[in-house]
Amino acid sequence: MGPLSRETWAQRLAAFRASPSAFMAGPEGEDLGRDLLSELRSDKLSEQTKVSLLALSLEYPAQLWPDATAAEAAATSLLDTLVLLPPRPSALRRPLLLAATTALVAGDALGPTSEASRRLLPLLLGLASGRDLGRGFGPASEQRPLQATACECLRELESCKPGLLGGCLGLLRGLLGQEGPVQPLSLLLALALRNTLVIQARARARAGLQGLLMAGDTPSGGDPWNWALAEEGDARLQPQAPSWPAAEEECGLAVLEPTPEEARELRAAVAQLLDTSYLLTPVAQAQLLWLLGWALRGLRGQTPVLFKPQLVRLLGTAQLTLLHAVLALKAAFGEALFTAQDEALLLRRLTVAAQHPALPLPAHLFHLHCLLSFPENWPLGPTGEEAAPLLLGPRLCRGLLPSLLHDPMALLARLHLLCLLCAEDEEKEEKGQDWSPRHYLEELLAGLRQRAALDGGPRASATLCFQASYLVVQCLATQPTVLTPLTHGLARLYRARPVLAPHFVDLLDRVGPELGEPLRVALRQEVVSRPGRDEALRWHLQILAEVADGNAQSATLGFLGAAAAHCTDWGLQQALLRVCRALLRAGVGGGLADLLQALARQWEDPDGRDHARLYYILLAHLAGPKLGVALGPSPAAPALASSLVAENQGFAAVLMVQEAPAPIRLSVGPHRAAGPGPVLQLHVEVLEPAYSLELRFRVEGQVYAPLGAVHVPCLCPGRPCRPLLLPLQPRRPAPTRLDVRALYTTPTGLTCHAHLPPLPVNFADLFLPFPQAPEGDKLGFFEELWDSCLPKGAESRLWCPLGPQGLEALVSRHLEPFVVVAQPPTSYHIAIRLPPDSRLLLRLEAAQEDGVPVALRTDDWAVLPLAGDYLRGLSAAV
Amino acid sequence: MAQRAVWLISREPGTPFCSTVRFSRRYPTVEKRAKVFNGASYVPIPEDGPFLKALLFELRLLDDDEDFIESRDSCSHINKTSVYGLLIGGGELWPVVAFLKNNMIYACVPLVEQTLSPHPPLISISGISQGFELLFGVQDFLSLSQKNDTELNTKLNQLPDLLLQACPFGTLLDANLQNSLDSINFASVTHSQKQPAWKVGTYKGKPQVSISITEKVKSMQYDKQDIADTWQVVGTVTCKCDLEGIMPNVTISLSLPTNGSPLQDILVHPCVTSLDSAILTSSSIDAMDDSAFSGPYKFPLTPPLESFNLCYYTSQVPVPPILGFYQMKEEEIQVKITVNLKLHESVKNNFEFCEAHIPFYNRGPITHVEYKVSFGQLEVFREKSSLVWIIGQKFPKSMEINLSGTVTFGAKSHEKQSFDEICIGGTAYLKLHFRILDYTLTGCYADQHSVQVFASGKPKISTHRKLISSDYYIWNSKAPAPVTYGSLLL
Repeated sequence: MGPLSRETWAQRLAAFRASPSAFMAGPEGEDLGRDLLSELRSDKLSEQTKVSLLALSLEYPAQLWPDATAAEAAATSLLDTLVLLPPRPSALRRPLLLAATTALVAGDALGPTSEASRRLLPLLLGLASGRDLGRGFGPASEQRPLQATACECLRELESCKPGLLGGCLGLLRGLLGQEGPVQPLSLLLALALRNTLVIQARARARAGLQGLLMAGDTPSGGDPWNWALAEEGDARLQPQAPSWPAAEEECGLAVLEPTPEEARELRAAVAQLLDTSYLLTPVAQAQLLWLLGWALRGLRGQTPVLFKPQLVRLLGTAQLTLLHAVLALKAAFGEALFTAQDEALLLRRLTVAAQHPALPLPAHLFHLHCLLSFPENWPLGPTGEEAAPLLLGPRLCRGLLPSLLHDPMALLARLHLLCLLCAEDEEKEEKGQDWSPRHYLEELLAGLRQRAALDGGPRASATLCFQASYLVVQCLATQPTVLTPLTHGLARLYRARPVLAPHFVDLLDRVGPELGEPLRVALRQEVVSRPGRDEALRWHLQILAEVADGNAQSATLGFLGAAAAHCTDWGLQQALLRVCRALLRAGVGGGLADLLQALARQWEDPDGRDHARLYYILLAHLAGPKLGVALGPSPAAPALASSLVAENQGFAAVLMVQEAPAPIRLSVGPHRAAGPGPVLQLHVEVLEPAYSLELRFRVEGQVYAPLGAVHVPCLCPGRPCRPLLLPLQPRRPAPTRLDVRALYTTPTGLTCHAHLPPLPVNFADLFLPFPQAPEGDKLGFFEELWDSCLPKGAESRLWCPLGPQGLEALVSRHLEPFVVVAQPPTSYHIAIRLPPDSRLLLRLEAAQEDGVPVALRTDDWAVLPLAGDYLRGLSAAV
Repeated sequence: MAQRAVWLISREPGTPFCSTVRFSRRYPTVEKRAKVFNGASYVPIPEDGPFLKALLFELRLLDDDEDFIESRDSCSHINKTSVYGLLIGGGELWPVVAFLKNNMIYACVPLVEQTLSPHPPLISISGISQGFELLFGVQDFLSLSQKNDTELNTKLNQLPDLLLQACPFGTLLDANLQNSLDSINFASVTHSQKQPAWKVGTYKGKPQVSISITEKVKSMQYDKQDIADTWQVVGTVTCKCDLEGIMPNVTISLSLPTNGSPLQDILVHPCVTSLDSAILTSSSIDAMDDSAFSGPYKFPLTPPLESFNLCYYTSQVPVPPILGFYQMKEEEIQVKITVNLKLHESVKNNFEFCEAHIPFYNRGPITHVEYKVSFGQLEVFREKSSLVWIIGQKFPKSMEINLSGTVTFGAKSHEKQSFDEICIGGTAYLKLHFRILDYTLTGCYADQHSVQVFASGKPKISTHRKLISSDYYIWNSKAPAPVTYGSLLL
């Protein structure tokens, strides 16, 4: 793109500023960074335009040069531009330095390997030292501002790479003692000193603090940049003024034990900084105090008395930052710097500043906050909570109490203080004093309610009234003398202005039972004692939906019955139904059923009618707990704004069966060979409680008759359950698998459906013994059975391998119930009944070391292969 | 201590949301640190559009008051300082320091050097007071001798350059932007070593010192048995020292006549080098007694170049300058009023002007007035439903004047008549506006001999005094009136 005119650039910059993301996504976005750098060297543009280009790069480097490579290139280009400037005064030098610094830091390009960093750092240090850098760095008149700017750039680099200037402490001290500009050098030295101390303490290494502080004008030996120290610090950025609680946790500087010489040198450096601090602007003085305060805190051998001479001067000012910095010193050093008298004086000054008519409101409010978070020498209450300091008596507070004439924020802040006073006053119940703080509080709240009750008044005044009520309840929940008039007052406010119903619902949702309980009763009474047919009906219904419970049923139902006729539009009907829901949930029965039936008949709107009918059906058919869950907040979408959607989802969740992963494990227990038919013994375990469990079985291949379901009322994890018996009715004597489904109710009331892994039914599970043979002639009984199998059956002989345990053990383990004739350990005659009407007969005779020959007969040839498999598998089965 | 971003938003009817971002400045190197310090709780600085909308919502400046909105109107959403959390893009941008002043919203976001959840207490965040100071500085700069929109625009156009000077990397170097402006212009002056950062150059010319004391008196008068009237004087001493040399030392003393009222709650300018402990501790919190320090109040200082407020004070004078009562009774569509005002004999009876404004809120326009005044004239503003009693330059010899009359109102129309939350029913007030030149209520003065200057040449010293009324209310004694706690302690 060719050179752009000033106007084009102005338009482009304006478009960019309007929405940087949109601009960068557009066609011109990609080139902006490159164009900007090249235009800086153009002769056509005025310096003012170039400054505005640089201003853009100061604010949006990440958008213009999004990665480290681009940032490095940009910084290099900016430095080139700087060097190429003609040696006459120019407004570009300062912004160029700032822009190069910003590009390197923001683009993450700052580091020992970055060429631009290696050019920028010596340049900045040279300028900061006031050295003559020769041509290109402007006339003498610009040296001073450039020196200050270079210091600022170095300070920013040190902020982002703490420890970087660790090697320059001596140099900076020297400059500060000589001719350098006081403020930039002081702030830079204070920051570098602090960072060095903290990093050394953290690394538990001492690189000769004295050496660092004493090193003369020129940094010793070549490169002054302490990248190593900066890497050390880089792992954790250094809070320059750490927030107090965070600083408490910090391991602190206590581990750093400076030698007496080092301590002396350190003290001299700090004293040097503090002595000239009055030359700094107030905001810079405050920064210096925060930095030095937290740098010296906890450092052994350093008493904070150095700060003392500054304090009186600072306490007298009206400057927010200075008072704040004194409070920071107070928090850092406590009693070591502030005696009890000092503390009292500081509190008084803070109290004055919190109400001084000459200060603006935001300053008042901040001072009031400081007062309630005051870092006391000996705090009594829990830390982190706002509380009135011990020394802040009612007398000091008198001017800080709220009145109706205050701005809302000031009123709330002062109200908080008043509540704290009332809480303290609780014990020493004032006698004969007309205007106790509590009495005043009551009057104030009444005034706020009166304002909120104004017809057509702004919402802000209603909000303020409810915020004040909430604040009072938070602080004084245990004081019935406060809560009772508050409850009555709020009920009266509702009577005066029902349109505030949403505020009441919000308040009820947020306060504890101390106010919530009586307020609910009062509001319900307020609503149901008046006929509901005016325009406030929708608000009444909203309130009732919140407060309706099992109490005062008849009055509530009476109100609803009367109101139903006036609910002519859909919204009102829904509001009324919402109250019905609340009553359903609260377990209100009889009268409600009548009301719902009446609604279902009376209303014309089909939606309202259907809902009424639905509620009626629910009420008639669901037991209490289930109803509660059905109407409770939807577990699926609790945050949905639409009550209808939420309601439908709730129903869908509760009244429909949910598909769920099975929390149930089912297994087949040992075989029971008894009774008229085969029975599977099932063991059930659950991972979470399940109620009304129903297990449904389906036989694969329909080899058995359909199976009945098994019911278990309640199952709990870890509590053993008796085995479940599942009778089988085989149509053929064959193994199969059972498909199992479980239906159960969760503790939250949802009905769930789960598909369990299939259960195998083995061939042996079908075995049944024959009815007992006559005692005398067992062999004859067996022979009779043996002979009866042929000719329609089948016969076979096979080899049953034996394991180490031998034949006797094998029989006793697997075939015991079916043995008819036994001659242990070598010969057994076994008869097995296979339902529905088959038999399997085995002769195990002349067992040898590793096996036994088996002669088998059956009247059902289809059984033969199954029997073969079974016998061959016996030895493997333990 | 640094700021992540600064905004100036002007309230202008006719623009979207009636507001326009007039200036914004982001600090990417600070943002970089915020990201590290805040960790998971980090919320980036949004673009101007979303920021504006979220801020206006939080400040209740969007005109959507109709409905209850929980995130704004909930009773637990309590703000007790000018520091807000803005809901933006699913996160909460906190802390946002913001306030509205003269149709301009000033806002900034200070860096917090730790995680933001839970919010650390504001007192422990150094950037909060620095942010306030920056915004106050910008506000002072914009309001200083600003007369019209053109001047405002000129100043707004200077802001980017000024902040480049006063706050190049987000850490504020000087809240006095005028100073930065001067330093751009003074760039060629050679500085010597001990040049303070708050003084960009040196004065060349005739030495002169000007001191002016302005006292504002406010009052709440009820004329009731059980409620005490209250009044208070607030003084501001403004100086301009045109003296040669880098650090000229000056001592300015304020004195009181023998029956003067002691100065209390004294706040001084940072250029004051030391302060007597009696000045530091004299406070309105304490009960007054004869032992109260009554001056002279000495302020040793090294003055800056520009005009500055040397100190502020309050004082409790024994009687209010004008004591009065106001009685108003409602009778259907008209009200009967009686006003009596009495100037205290000790007060200089020579006003630049003196007026009593009698507004009638939440009523229709005035249709008819019948009245009788013992002194001065009455002006009727029918549409604004208010009366102004112009008393003039002097009270009569009796020092006491009165007004009585009947005011009839037309039908109330909601659009035109201003709504007032306090003046409901019989609750009403009249407000006095007056100014007396070359006079202070406390008696406080600075004479030529009270100024010591340790610099070459004898300076010309000029002093000025004036008393102005401010929030001087007299409430209708026939109806309830809002009271402060102080009024109840009889």
